[in-house]
Amino acid sequence: MGAKVKIIERKGSSLIERLYLIEIAKGMATTFGHLFRNLKDNRNLYVRHYPEVQPEIPARWRGRHRLTTHEDGTAKCVACFMCQTNCPAKCIMIEAGERVDGKAEKMPVKFHIDLLECIYCGYCVEACPLDAIRMDTGIFSVTDNNRESFLLGLEELLATPGACSEEEYKKGGA
Amino acid sequence: MSLLDYLMIAIRVAFSAFIPLCFVAVCVWMERRGAGFFQDRSGPNRANICGFRAAGIVQNLSDGLKLAFKEDMISDHIKHKFFFVLAPIIVFFTAVVSFAVVPYADTLVLGGKSYLMQGIPVDLGILWFLALAGFGVYGIILAGWSSSNKYGILGGLRSAAQVISYEIPMGLAIVSLLVVYGTVNLNEIAQFQGKLLFGFIPLWGAILQPLGMIIFIVAAFAECNRTPFDLAEGESEIVAGFHVEYSAMKFAVFFMGEYVAMFASSAIIITLFFGGYQVPFLSTDALISYAKPVAFLLMLSLPVIMYFFAGWIRRSNISHYPRENDPRVVEANVYIKCFWGLILLLELILLIILFCKSGGSATTIFVALLQVCTFLLKVTMMIFVYIWVRWTIPRFRYDQLQKLGWQVLLPLALLNIFITSAVVVALS
Repeated sequence: MGAKVKIIERKGSSLIERLYLIEIAKGMATTFGHLFRNLKDNRNLYVRHYPEVQPEIPARWRGRHRLTTHEDGTAKCVACFMCQTNCPAKCIMIEAGERVDGKAEKMPVKFHIDLLECIYCGYCVEACPLDAIRMDTGIFSVTDNNRESFLLGLEELLATPGACSEEEYKKGGA
Repeated sequence: MSLLDYLMIAIRVAFSAFIPLCFVAVCVWMERRGAGFFQDRSGPNRANICGFRAAGIVQNLSDGLKLAFKEDMISDHIKHKFFFVLAPIIVFFTAVVSFAVVPYADTLVLGGKSYLMQGIPVDLGILWFLALAGFGVYGIILAGWSSSNKYGILGGLRSAAQVISYEIPMGLAIVSLLVVYGTVNLNEIAQFQGKLLFGFIPLWGAILQPLGMIIFIVAAFAECNRTPFDLAEGESEIVAGFHVEYSAMKFAVFFMGEYVAMFASSAIIITLFFGGYQVPFLSTDALISYAKPVAFLLMLSLPVIMYFFAGWIRRSNISHYPRENDPRVVEANVYIKCFWGLILLLELILLIILFCKSGGSATTIFVALLQVCTFLLKVTMMIFVYIWVRWTIPRFRYDQLQKLGWQVLLPLALLNIFITSAVVVALS
């Protein structure tokens, strides 16, 4: 005992309901109300005029990836291979090289993400010890008409800016 | 036969053949936009020609073009290719021809000769419709069988069982109607409904036979394979039912056949129960004698209706997001100008009627045109009811469908016959 038991009255057994027609008329009145309201003023429609009006993307949305940079524009990534190791879809391919700017020992020479393989799970972002890879670009629609353009390179990943401010991103729990 | 005779034959046949086809576009448009508005979404509203979307009708054109240019393929596993191709033709042909006996205006008297305003001037009337509506299902069964597909054959079988179950209540509902009207000729039935009951209620079938009307409309929905009786193509159970193997233009013919059948059965419902082509409260004779006042009233009311319609277009046809130099406002202005042009043309025609000799051939043609417009308006409203029901009621289960047909509609139809006959015998 203890759980509240709520007995729900079963409907559909009274004579008026078994006659169908009255209930059907009620239902049709409801649908006609919707039609009339929308015909009278089509601003009442529950639709977003999509390509022109874009949806609001929250800071925690996992969109397309980007690589973050230091203030001087060099990549934060040190090619530790954490993300590549963690990736369940095996879509990240990194090639490490020697770092010359003195910020660390290694840097990526090549950093490829195959967006056709990516499942947007965000494990790469979780795994990164230096906050070098993020999915905060707010890009949710990745389309093209050839396969090659879905293979993102290092330059492209570094060039894409984040869609939200640092405070918002931190507030999102990252 | 004079030139006028040939002209009248051509006009009547063309009307009977092409109006249902034109209404396919209207039906599909109403269905898709209506479905959208019933469900609080907008429906197809993007396809356009040079920015003109015509409230979504352009979408029909693009869909039609797509279906016409699609590869017309027949799978290798289909052995009876002749029957496979024949099936959509039967469905479409019977649907178009079943409209041929429906009168869309009262008998037109021109130069001392009278012309029956229906595609095929025969007296078969409702019997012709019953025969052809029943024949249309052969196309569906043939399609299901020749598809060599489990879903196809199930759809065909369901359709066959459904049509057999619902032809009987439909026929019995018609029997009680025939007891009232005393004729099978649809034109005479429509003329009968031009009278007034107690001087102020139109003597429509809906008032004389309310129960018969409900039975007939339910059975007509089932005959058209429309929701809530669209078991033959129940998507959630048997993919697409009888037309699962059809593609491209063969599918389009099925699709158009369905809508033409809907138009034809709407026309029959209108003719039997809602006064056919009769303008409410004004029989043909009254219209001919009052042609000038009616024309004058129309001349006054048309601009008023157009004024409000233009306001509605202007309010509806705008972009609902900030946009510089909104092209939809320009579009709306063009539509409004086109409609005003149309109204101006109608006003001119009405003006000619006003200055013509009353009771002459111009008046009779005007009355016929008025009745055609009334008929098409009523049919459009009935088609709207079809669409309205489709987006309100879910599909019946198969056993519920058979139970409704045999255990509810059939006894009710029989009861209706007894009551009607008793009343008719008592009154005569």
